[in-house]
Amino acid sequence: MTQRVLIVDDEAPARERLRRLLGELSNVEVAAEASSGEQAVRLAAELHPDVVLLDVRMPGMNGLEVARHLAIFSEPPAVVFTTAYDAYAVEAFEARAMGYLLKPVRVEKLETALRHAARLASTQLARLSAGDPARVARTHVAARLGDQVRLIPVPEIYYFAADQKYTTVRHRGGSDLIEDALRALEEEFATQFVRVHRNALVNINSLAAIERDAEGQYHVVVRVLNERLTVSRRLAGELRDRFRL
Amino acid sequence: MADRTRHELHALNLPDFCAARAVLAVVLIVTLTAVVLTVARQAGALSFWLDLARTALFLLWSGLGSAAVLCLLRNRLAQMPLVGASASALLGVLGVIALVSAGVLWLGSSALLGPRATNLLLPETPWRFFAANLGIGTIVGALALRYFYVTGEWRRNVELQARARVYALQARIRPHFLFNSMNTIAALTRSDPARAEEAVEDLADLFRANLSEKRSSITLKEELEVARIYQRIEQLRLGERLHVIWDVTDLPMRAMVPGLLMQPLLENAIYHGIEPRPGGGIVTVSGALDGDIIGLTVRNPLPEAGDAAHSGNRIALDNIRERMELLYPGRSSVEANRIGDEYIVRLRFPYIEDTVRASSL
Repeated sequence: MTQRVLIVDDEAPARERLRRLLGELSNVEVAAEASSGEQAVRLAAELHPDVVLLDVRMPGMNGLEVARHLAIFSEPPAVVFTTAYDAYAVEAFEARAMGYLLKPVRVEKLETALRHAARLASTQLARLSAGDPARVARTHVAARLGDQVRLIPVPEIYYFAADQKYTTVRHRGGSDLIEDALRALEEEFATQFVRVHRNALVNINSLAAIERDAEGQYHVVVRVLNERLTVSRRLAGELRDRFRL
Repeated sequence: MADRTRHELHALNLPDFCAARAVLAVVLIVTLTAVVLTVARQAGALSFWLDLARTALFLLWSGLGSAAVLCLLRNRLAQMPLVGASASALLGVLGVIALVSAGVLWLGSSALLGPRATNLLLPETPWRFFAANLGIGTIVGALALRYFYVTGEWRRNVELQARARVYALQARIRPHFLFNSMNTIAALTRSDPARAEEAVEDLADLFRANLSEKRSSITLKEELEVARIYQRIEQLRLGERLHVIWDVTDLPMRAMVPGLLMQPLLENAIYHGIEPRPGGGIVTVSGALDGDIIGLTVRNPLPEAGDAAHSGNRIALDNIRERMELLYPGRSSVEANRIGDEYIVRLRFPYIEDTVRASSL
C-alpha cells in the first residue's frame, strides 16, 4: 500500500529536500507541498493524505496549530513534525511519543518515522500547545462541515456563544459550530476576547455599547451585526469601566 | 592586548601619572588637603592665608614630585609583582617627601628668607618635622595604593564580565540558524552544488568571525562584510521573503568598531521582523557620518500579529551597548524604538580610525 505524503514547510529548500528523500523510498508518494499552515489544512482536506510532514516553526499559522486543525477531521491524517531546532517542542514530542524529525532529515529516520506515523488526538495537541512557554494563540479556529474543514480567522470572529453541547462561532462569513469549550477559548484568546456572560465571549473590537432594558437587564451591542447579547450584572460595570462604553 | 594581560596579572592599577588629567587631579587633591589641614590647625600666630600658602607649597612639591617619580617608574612598576610594586611606589613617594622636607629645613637654616620668616614659617625641631612628614606620607600613600588596587580590581572585574558576556554571545550563534542553514545546504548539495559550496564557505567565514578572539575591535568594512555573509545565507533559505537594503556608502570604512556589531542586529531584524511574517519584508541598514560621530540604523517591520518574546533582542542590544561603552566610554549610544509599524535600532559612536588608540581607550 502506497503512503501519500503532504509536505509542509515555509522554506523552499526544505520542501525540495524532503521531496527528494521521499523519492528514494518505496511505497511512498508525494501528494502535494504546502508553503503555509493555511494551505496545508486546505490541501489536507482536499487530498486526504495518509501522512503530513509538518514543519513546527512557520510564520502565521505554525505547525502545532495546523496539527490541531487536522485533528478535527473525520479521518485525520497521521502527523510527523519536522524541526531544525526547537528545544521545547522536541522535549514535548519526546514526552508524548509523537513522531518528529530533526532537520536536516536522514533518509533512514524518515523511513522509520513514516512507518510509525500516528494520528494525533486534538486533546493531546491542545495540551501540547498549552504548555508551550512561547505559546501564541491560534490564528484560526476550525469548524468541521461533514467532510470539509472551514478555517475561520480569529480577527473575523464577532463572538463565541455556548449552549449545552456546542460552541457557536459568529463570524464575518456566517455562523459555525466548533468543538472547543468556551473556557478553553477564553483562556487562549484572553487578549482579544472578553467574557460578558456565562455563555458568551465577545471580540473586544466588536463591543459597541452596553444598554439596559426596561427590566434592568444589561445587554452588549455587537458592532456590525447590531445583535444584543445578555450581560451578567456582575460583569456590566467592569466592562463599562474597562472599555469606556 | 598582551600589555593589558600582563597588567591584569599584577593588578596594581595606578593611574597614569604621566597624563595631564592625573596631574591636574593631584594638584586639586593637594590643594584641598592643604585647605583642610590649615582650617583644622587654626595656627594662632600665623594668618590663615600665610599658613595655607606654606602648607600648600609643601604639599604641592610633595604631590607633584611623587607624580613625577611614579610617572618615571611606571613601566618598571608594571613589570613587578604586586607586593614589590606597591613597596617600590611607596618608597618612591617617601623619598620625595624626605627630599622636600630636607629642602624646607635647608631653607630655614640658610639666611635667604631673613630671621623673622625663619621663626614663623619654618619648623623648629627638624627631627620631629621629618618623622611627622614621613609618617603621614606612609599612611596616606598606603591608603592611596590600597584604593588604586581596589578600584583596579573592580574595573578588571567589570571588564572581565563584559568580555565573558561577549564570548557567551559569540558562542551562541542561534542554533536555529545553524541547523536551518545545514538543512538548506543539504538541499542545495544536489540541486545546485555551486551554491551549496558557496553557502559552506559563507558559513565557515561567519563561524570564524564568531569564534575569533581578536574581535574586541575591527574595521567597519570587515564588520559589514560579516553581516553581508550572514544575509547571503539567510537569503537562500528565505528567498523572496527577505529583502535587505544597504545604504552604507557614506560610511568611513576604516572606522574601528567592536566586532559583531552589525551582524547580531541584522540577525535580530530577520529573526523577529521577517521570519514571523508570511509575506516577508524589507530590512534597511543605513549609516552616515555626522561630524566625527558615526550613526548606524537598522530597521525592520514589526511582526504582523502575536508579538513573540523579544527577550533575545534585548540581550543582544544590552551586549552591544556594553561593548561600545568599553570601546568608547561615555561617547556611544544604542536606541531601540517602535515607530509606526517599524522597529528601529540606532547606534551612535565616535569615528576612530587608529587601531592602537581604539584598543587602548
